[in-house]
Amino acid sequence: MADIGRVRIRIPTSIKAGDVVKVRVLVIHPMEIVERKDGKPVDKNYHFINHVVVSYLDKEIAQFETTQSISENPFFAFAVKATEPGVLRVTFLDTHGGKYEGTADIKFS
Amino acid sequence: MLRGRVLTGIGLVLGGALVSGCAQRESQASGADLPSAPWVSRTIPEAAGTIAVQPDGARRALRYSGWTAEDFGRFRTYAYTETKSMVPLGTTPLPTVAGNAQNGRRLFLDRNRGPCTGCHLVRGEDVWPAGNVGPDLSSYGDRDAPPEYTFKLIYDSRHIFPESVMPPWGAAGIFTAPEIMDLVAFLATQKGPLPAEKDLERDPGTRGKPAGFGDNLDPTNNPAVVRAESADDLWAEKGPSGKACVDCHAGGPLASMKGVATRYPRYVPAHRRVMSIEDLLTVHGPATTGRPLLEESADNLELTVRIKMASNGMPVRLDLDLPENRAAFERGRASFFKRVGQRNHACADCHTVESGRGAGKFLGGRLLADVEQGLTRHFPTWRTSQADVWDMRKRMQWCMTPLGANMLAADSVEYAELELYLASFDQGKPISVPGIRH
Amino acid sequence: MTVPAGRRITRRNMLARGITHCEIFDARGSANRTMLGTSGVTRRKVLRTLAVLGGLGIVGSMPGAASVARAQGHLANLGPEEPVESTMKRLFGGRPIGDGASSITIDLPLIAENGAVVPVTVEWSGPMAPQRYVKSIYIVSDKNRRPLNAKFNLTPAVGLAYVGTNLRLGESTDVRAVIEMNDGTLLQAKRAVKVTVGGCGG
Repeated sequence: MADIGRVRIRIPTSIKAGDVVKVRVLVIHPMEIVERKDGKPVDKNYHFINHVVVSYLDKEIAQFETTQSISENPFFAFAVKATEPGVLRVTFLDTHGGKYEGTADIKFS
Repeated sequence: MLRGRVLTGIGLVLGGALVSGCAQRESQASGADLPSAPWVSRTIPEAAGTIAVQPDGARRALRYSGWTAEDFGRFRTYAYTETKSMVPLGTTPLPTVAGNAQNGRRLFLDRNRGPCTGCHLVRGEDVWPAGNVGPDLSSYGDRDAPPEYTFKLIYDSRHIFPESVMPPWGAAGIFTAPEIMDLVAFLATQKGPLPAEKDLERDPGTRGKPAGFGDNLDPTNNPAVVRAESADDLWAEKGPSGKACVDCHAGGPLASMKGVATRYPRYVPAHRRVMSIEDLLTVHGPATTGRPLLEESADNLELTVRIKMASNGMPVRLDLDLPENRAAFERGRASFFKRVGQRNHACADCHTVESGRGAGKFLGGRLLADVEQGLTRHFPTWRTSQADVWDMRKRMQWCMTPLGANMLAADSVEYAELELYLASFDQGKPISVPGIRH
Repeated sequence: MTVPAGRRITRRNMLARGITHCEIFDARGSANRTMLGTSGVTRRKVLRTLAVLGGLGIVGSMPGAASVARAQGHLANLGPEEPVESTMKRLFGGRPIGDGASSITIDLPLIAENGAVVPVTVEWSGPMAPQRYVKSIYIVSDKNRRPLNAKFNLTPAVGLAYVGTNLRLGESTDVRAVIEMNDGTLLQAKRAVKVTVGGCGG
């Protein structure tokens, strides 16, 4: 899966100062699940996203601890209170040292 | 990848056509009768429909990873050169040993056989998910049918209902005669007052329709949309021949391919056969950029998705007046109604709304689609259960396995013409690719 | 139409592509910490560079942080396979968990067509105020081998205790949302989902 780490973020088109907006984000990632052999789990360094950090205006506003029971190509939705124009950043960290990032510009209209 | 058997058959036809070559254009009927020119299959190995013969003589089918390797060679396929007829009407003496109802229940629910619950509801909170293509059998025992009747019905229902879509379980060798006696014994227990239904979803008659997977064109919802963007890079990259797609198709796929997909599948004179976008890429790639673009390869799928995205929102516009397309449509329709495989099923059994057929009903937990709604304009589609993009050919190939029929190569003309028939019901409806489905 | 990383797709372009009311930001994540960190990295460039680095013997031999990271996905770090009662005990000790049915909305299909992708959203109806806010939302699937799907840690800056994701479910199960307030109060709600298994459609 060579497009691992591609991020897409979706926010509403028109945002007014103070709006609480719902954000959708997706990242391409295999979220490898535990293999079983003879009914027992195989031990290896499974490749999945285990940490998501959401920051807005350079401050961390949310952080998710995720597991292999989140679907492949993980999708997350969350809210942000849009107080000022600025960058919303979502960073994904995985068990193999991967770090993938996407940003969205929050602007008022 | 050559498929010798098919090549020989088509070669004979072609030989005859060459003799009457000039006459073809005038006699539209004979030109349209010609199935196709010799086609060299160009698929990835898993999609070629290959059967490998082991040293001990056993035959194994080469299919996609995780698919069964079982060879269904003794059952009819969609091949135009097919000589086998459908599963013959079968009969056998009624076993003398009484059936075991408990084993019958286990067999009824066994996912490795029918399962019978795929079409028939019976009693039990553990019965999940049952379908309603066939009648609800929860009170079958109340009818006090003679065991010989029920046995015959299960062994080969065509004795009683000649147009039945129920597979001939005994005649096709899926259940043995003693096993059918167990099923008969089990069905006899489905009698008396029905327990109160605690769960509306258990009964397919009251179950809700699937919710779907949301906006298929939203890249935060459908990974296939994100994946397809790789095609934009591939478009601009020089292939082994030193040329890139962009050299002839300026501006990238979305700009240069607008409207193209609306006319496919179609008869392509240069290759003398009906082709989908996927099929065309397998010959167009090597001829231009030098890329193989084998059918079912990731590159082929991504390019197909991207090329179709360029026509999103535009109505399907097949040219069904062209005699070659018309003839292919008729052959495709014949395939749609052709009974194949160990299960003796035709596409029409599940995908039309006629009496006794399945469209709009549940097959197990799956709601069956009606061909008249148009089933192709969202293909290729993301499949959430596979975390992958499937095109129409892979979907057809998959159908073969529960039917107990060997699959043809993904780029086979039989599948292309069947796809043309299916796509005719999308005529005038807007393309929306990639879809997102279970 | 390719959009360079970070550039906004205009509304008109998106309408042409059938996307209407939302802006979509296209961000190319860096593929790997050992790889090019710039935006605009595409799959084909990554493949080519991987081949080059592989040839130089660089890929796979990064020291330090990478070796720590290497262990992260091992079974020891995954938490045990256990019944949901053990998970709940491990996460919350014996703390009382109130009935949040009236304030927590869980959106979950009644029937999931497969267990690979089951969309869920959880929302708490109260306000997120600096003095009192939802600190964490746990999503737990009772019948999963490792019942905890995810833990969402929030701050008042999010403005609304609302999260969504796609769950992997092993079988039909109750899915519960446990909300932990900043003062430690716990509330729970749950919904049942039936997972459809197999079938001729695959």
